[in-house]
Amino acid sequence: MIEMRDITKVYPNGVRANREVSFEIKAGEIHALVGENGAGKSTLMKILYGVERPSAGQIYLKGKPVRINTEHEAIALGIGMVFQSFMLVPSFTIAQNVVLGNEPVHGALLDNRAAINATSELAKQYGLVVDPSAIVDSVPVGMRQRVEILKALYRGADVLILDEPTAVLTPQETRELFAAIRQLVKTGKTVIFISHKLREVMEISNRVSVMRDGQMVGTVDTKDATETSLARMMVGREVFQQYDKPPVNRGAAVLQARDLEYVNEAGRQVLRGVSFNAYAGEILGIAGVEGNGQTELVEVLTGLRVAVGGTIKLGDSDITSRSAREVRQAGVAHIPEDRLNNGVALTASIEENLIVDRYSKPPFSRAGFTSLAAMVKNGETMIEQYAIRAPDGALPVGSLSGGNMQKVVVARELSANPQLLIAAQPTRGVDIGATEFMHQQLIQQRTNGVAVLLISADLAEVMALSDRLAVMHNGQIVAIFPDARGLSEEEVGLYMLGVQLQTQAEIEKNW
Amino acid sequence: MVDTSAITLSENRAVERARIRKERVRSSLIDLIVTLGTIMIALLIGFIVTLAVGKEPIKAYTALLTGPLSQVNRLGNWIQDATTLILIGLSVSIAFQARQFNLGAEGSLLVGALTAAVVALYVPLPPVLGIVVPLLAAMTAGFLVALIPGWMKAYLNANEVVSTLMINAIIANLYQYLLINFLTPEGDNVRRSALLPATSAFPLLADIFNANLGRANLAIVLVLIAVIAVWVLMRRTSFGYEVRMIGANEKFARYGGISARRVIMLSFAIGGAVAAIGGVHLALGVHNRLILGISAGLGFEGIVVAMLARNNPLLVPITGLFYSYLRIGGDIMERTASVGAEIVQVIQAVIILLITAQFVIEFVRARRNTSGTSSSRTAAASDATAVPSEQSRRNI
Repeated sequence: MIEMRDITKVYPNGVRANREVSFEIKAGEIHALVGENGAGKSTLMKILYGVERPSAGQIYLKGKPVRINTEHEAIALGIGMVFQSFMLVPSFTIAQNVVLGNEPVHGALLDNRAAINATSELAKQYGLVVDPSAIVDSVPVGMRQRVEILKALYRGADVLILDEPTAVLTPQETRELFAAIRQLVKTGKTVIFISHKLREVMEISNRVSVMRDGQMVGTVDTKDATETSLARMMVGREVFQQYDKPPVNRGAAVLQARDLEYVNEAGRQVLRGVSFNAYAGEILGIAGVEGNGQTELVEVLTGLRVAVGGTIKLGDSDITSRSAREVRQAGVAHIPEDRLNNGVALTASIEENLIVDRYSKPPFSRAGFTSLAAMVKNGETMIEQYAIRAPDGALPVGSLSGGNMQKVVVARELSANPQLLIAAQPTRGVDIGATEFMHQQLIQQRTNGVAVLLISADLAEVMALSDRLAVMHNGQIVAIFPDARGLSEEEVGLYMLGVQLQTQAEIEKNW
Repeated sequence: MVDTSAITLSENRAVERARIRKERVRSSLIDLIVTLGTIMIALLIGFIVTLAVGKEPIKAYTALLTGPLSQVNRLGNWIQDATTLILIGLSVSIAFQARQFNLGAEGSLLVGALTAAVVALYVPLPPVLGIVVPLLAAMTAGFLVALIPGWMKAYLNANEVVSTLMINAIIANLYQYLLINFLTPEGDNVRRSALLPATSAFPLLADIFNANLGRANLAIVLVLIAVIAVWVLMRRTSFGYEVRMIGANEKFARYGGISARRVIMLSFAIGGAVAAIGGVHLALGVHNRLILGISAGLGFEGIVVAMLARNNPLLVPITGLFYSYLRIGGDIMERTASVGAEIVQVIQAVIILLITAQFVIEFVRARRNTSGTSSSRTAAASDATAVPSEQSRRNI
């Protein structure tokens, strides 16, 4: 029905998100598209939905070549997409949202009754239970998702792309969604289901296509696949470059986290009794599919969020519930995963960005007054030492490339001479040269006796760098391997996906 | 081998740096030209409006443009009006730099005037102290009053636009109540306080220079001190760094260990203390007593002054003088030519609107960038502007 042939997408910043990807969808099937974060799934689907345009390649609809330049053109061709973040008007009713953009009118006014009728008819036809007259803001997430699907159907979608639809759902809501998807297919619709949850893929799909590093690994019939075989296709890439690391010289336990519990703003328990130690002179990697509590763990450890239970000790001092500044002063440095939002202030100068953790201390500040000279000198030193490609420290950080912004963050954090360095997704969105640099820096810190905690969703990265490896799944540490060498990616992948778990005793042995 | 490459690298950097310096000078020159051009266009449009409504447009417009300088007493009015405006502009610029839309200057100004006058009236003080003590009392009061919306924003996440406007309303009514019921001397049929003691009056410039400079007074010295103090505070202290980082990216500031709550709260409070000086100037310098409607909305006009100066404390005196010139010129135009007050305000508003419309400058800059060589840099720079504006939208 739809065929995408040799699709290549190169972003203006040089990132190649899709490389000669070919992808075929048959009418009336549920086709799962799986892959790790950054594998290029979303890009491929955005191309199909007209949000992004391919740099090369061709799309065929029912055998005829088509060009899809905008979402409107995609909708006109019968292709609809439901994004992870919903695009609804929260203050409108469900019916108003469904008909928005193509409203039944009564004179110059919206015909509310017609809107409600149309909505409930569609809802009945496809088994998507909604309350048409309810305000979107007041209904649960699961229902909002059904509204998004109805919106696409109302516009005449024959092919529905669902981008990680279960990420925001409870197990109960997921079951309801699956029932609705089956109903849709029964009435002749086609569904593309983007996910990295293999259990769900096995449950719902007819066929699975696996992407990795911007390329299509292959398409298989679901009945011929197992979770393990899919996991192997997802992560079994060429072996990541191996680094020459001097042997581990493990020192004292610098960080001791015990029974950390965290409940987020939405009331969901994100951390469930997380315990581990980080030792001087060792890189402890934490692997895991994103969204399994890693972000929250890092923010709890660095004082940006307050744990609801458990203790954190740094050396001999208790730093549980301390402020970010106190944690930093105790000797913790933090390379944050969301560089643009947390790691830098884009409009502030490079020099200013480099002192955010030390501006109040000498030589940068004496009796509350800042020393510009010290700030400028520090900037020059850092630019030189960390090879930041910037001609002048007075330039705003926003004028640098992603890799050089990351170098600004790294320069600041490493020059703080920490006891514990927490690096979260340190190479995300960074070019190969900067990635290499980052890895060397982490190894150097560890060899110099710093305790390094490396959190990464890039399995190849954590495996190449870590001395010891922990795996997080669903807010828990599900495995700790005392020696990361000799582990296979498939093996770790099974723990990441929650297919296998170590016993509590096995984990505690390797705290 | 290693050495030579290091040398070429640093040479390259020196060349690149020189290029950037040059580029920076060029772009600020263009900014200046564009700003001046905008003012010219604005004045032209103002003239067209005058042409359309006035009987003697040339005379009227001359009054607007040259009025404040045409007589010594008008010069005095200008100085006196600008004094308050500059102080309020400084006050507003502080919280604005932390991206807090603090509209509380009006309230702090009233509190400052009230406190200074009450202390001057009821505490017998020798010369000099007669000014210093009410001034310090007023600044303290302004600080404390502005602390309330600051605290509400920082700890309760209460919208500062609403809270500062509400507090302004409370203060304005309280001021009126106290003035009418307690401060108006018995038998006085005008609702105003008694005249303040001579020891608490700012010396008038008219007496010093022996010229008819109206009520302009030595509070201009306070303006000079305040401009320098606020500049030092914002540019040369840890607190100023904290404020600017919060303004640039609050999440980044928190991540770096800055206590955003404390800093936001203090940015309101310090602004309150500065606005209170404006109130002191009105009570002790201009009127020598408290009168009804003493602020005449100056607290809000100060916002325009701060915005025109893009919150740069060193530019606030310039924009304050400029805006005040338009105000006084407008008054004169209204009095000497047959142009109604409404039209005067329309002309003022058109001028301010055009100048505030920074899109003119940004438009020109964007045009220049797209024709430039480094497209990645442009992209990154537009990112840089996109993120804070997103933030500011949320804050407002």
